[in-house]
Amino acid sequence: MRRHAAVRMLLHDRSTTAGAVLGVVAIVFLVGQQLAVLFGLLTLMSALVDNSGADIWVLSQNSKSTSTAGDLPIRYVDRLAGLKDIEWAQPVIYSAAQFKLPDGTSQSVGIVGVTRPGLVVGPWRMAEGGSDVLLEYDGVTVDKLDLADLGNPKVGQVVEVNGRRVRIAGYTEGSRAFGPSVMFVNSTKAREITGIPADRCTNILIKLKPGVDIRRARAEISTLLPKTTVLTVAELASSIRVYNLTSTGIGSSFGFSALIGIIVGVVIITLTMYTNVLNRQRDFAVLRALGARQQDVFAIILFQALTIGCIGLLIGFFLLGGFLFGVKGSRLPANLPLWLPPAHVLFTFLMCFLGSALAMRRALKIEPASAFR
Amino acid sequence: MNTISQSPESEVDGPRSRVQSQGVSGTPVLSLEGVARDFSDGRVVRRVLKETTLDILSGEMTVLAGPSGSGKTTLLTIMGLVLKPSTGRVVVGGEDVTGFSEDSLASIRQQRYGYVFQQAALVPALDVLDNVLVGTAIQGGRVSAQTREKAISLLSGLGMKDYLLSRPQQLSTGQQQRAGIARALVSDPILLLCDEPTSALDVESSHIVLDTLKKLSRDPRRGVVLVTHDPRVFPYADRLLKMEDGAIVYDTRQVAG
Ligand SMILES: Nc1ncnc2c1ncn2[C@@H]1O[C@H](COP(=O)(O)OP(=O)(O)OP(=O)(O)O)[C@@H](O)[C@H]1O
Ligand SMILES: [Mg+2]
Repeated sequence: MRRHAAVRMLLHDRSTTAGAVLGVVAIVFLVGQQLAVLFGLLTLMSALVDNSGADIWVLSQNSKSTSTAGDLPIRYVDRLAGLKDIEWAQPVIYSAAQFKLPDGTSQSVGIVGVTRPGLVVGPWRMAEGGSDVLLEYDGVTVDKLDLADLGNPKVGQVVEVNGRRVRIAGYTEGSRAFGPSVMFVNSTKAREITGIPADRCTNILIKLKPGVDIRRARAEISTLLPKTTVLTVAELASSIRVYNLTSTGIGSSFGFSALIGIIVGVVIITLTMYTNVLNRQRDFAVLRALGARQQDVFAIILFQALTIGCIGLLIGFFLLGGFLFGVKGSRLPANLPLWLPPAHVLFTFLMCFLGSALAMRRALKIEPASAFR
Repeated sequence: MNTISQSPESEVDGPRSRVQSQGVSGTPVLSLEGVARDFSDGRVVRRVLKETTLDILSGEMTVLAGPSGSGKTTLLTIMGLVLKPSTGRVVVGGEDVTGFSEDSLASIRQQRYGYVFQQAALVPALDVLDNVLVGTAIQGGRVSAQTREKAISLLSGLGMKDYLLSRPQQLSTGQQQRAGIARALVSDPILLLCDEPTSALDVESSHIVLDTLKKLSRDPRRGVVLVTHDPRVFPYADRLLKMEDGAIVYDTRQVAG
């Protein structure tokens, strides 16, 4: 009967109930959307590393991110070839360059030099053509999502990067990184464009044999190449994320937006639920006189908060789903890791209870004697 | 309004008649011993109810009258276990409940008390039947089919058969008050406490409500206390108490005895 009464009360005070539900929706959607974009960006930040197909990256000394000066000696690769745990080791070039737009201005791009014939750290998803187009002498790829930024170059069109002529050989789809557009090209052409000499590279990528302990291998490589930074893919990915979050202020700006969503939501829930209890003081007093204990009033309000939470979550996640569907394949990266929705549900209920706390306090103070006043 | 003039007499006592053999008229269902109540409004402490010793007897209708502010509601709420006395003892059915916890008192209220409030005080979110039943299962759990049947029969007896699923707002004040009486009776209370139950009603509805309460007070197990400042209620009283300034100044029992 307590639950029945609780639901009836919610249905009776439709407008305040709707208000409280709105508060929950605000939390679920605003926070969820912020987190989805944040996780989308985090994924994007380390996309190149995560999709490189390697287990370990060798960077120049003191480097925290992928893009470096390009001063790793290529002979390090030969030095590594002696290690029995290594399946392969490949030099890679990753460097900034200027892409010339049709209007004569230029646009920063990231050039990734892929070693033939293995095409290690090549594009992981193509929209048109296979990645074997990079075997061509002057073929480059651009990502479909970056086309507008680069003046919509057509496949087959010849463009200029750092003053060198290259040909658009294919489009990638979502093979992007955080920051400037990424263009994949074979390593020979990459050297030509970036001016990195033939005996140097920016990174060495290493694939270990199956079953090899990655930490031990990393330590081994580290002693073999003392003047370098050797990181596992996971370490490098998180290092890049931390670096980007702290250096760009993305972290705090997302945190702030999410916080606003939470505050707005909790304030709405608090105000509406509190108003509701104030308006229904007499009802609660009568119920107390009829035999309701404080714990029964507690149960009623708690159940109301739960119900409001459930409805708000349903609507909120529906909207969130719509948002994720809407931005899918767009330039705005968004994804929710699997663990996040359940955590978000728990968090939302927590906020819901927090929002109902004031109403609860008020309701528990209602004296049964006031039913007679 | 035609249902108001309909006589509630036929069925209202129906479910009760089975238990009427228990209990003896004239035994105290409630005793107040030296009960007083102070209220402080900020700085000044006022004794709103002066030391009162009083037995409420079963099988009769006790009417508590007096001018506004004389302490009638204060006394009634102490009897009703919703207000704690500042001093004195409260004994319900022979059991001293003075030191009982809030929760125990709530359970006594639920199981042994019935209340009729001034303006019915139905919960607007609940339909009439739920209003009658809400108290019986407010401590959790479901309403038994038996209780539900009893509630329906009580409401029918009060001419409310066609309004079981109506919202309180859809009822006349007289109908609301009859639903309120059904709510007070559904748990077979030994004490029925009514605070100005007729003050919001027209003459006709008042008489129906008063007749009903009078009949209910005939149950030898049950005491009925009715607070009023309406002299038209006095003829219904088996015992009339008058309050003034926080004290009972007149008691027909004392006069007779
Ligand atoms: N909770 C309270 N706090 C402070 N004073 C109170 C409280 N309840 C009642 N009083 C005071 O106690 C006195 C008696 O009030 P009570 O309601 O018992 O009178 P009453 O006889 O029922 O009056 P009425 O006929 O107007 O209902 C009043 O002066 C009132 O102001
Ligand atoms: Mg009063």
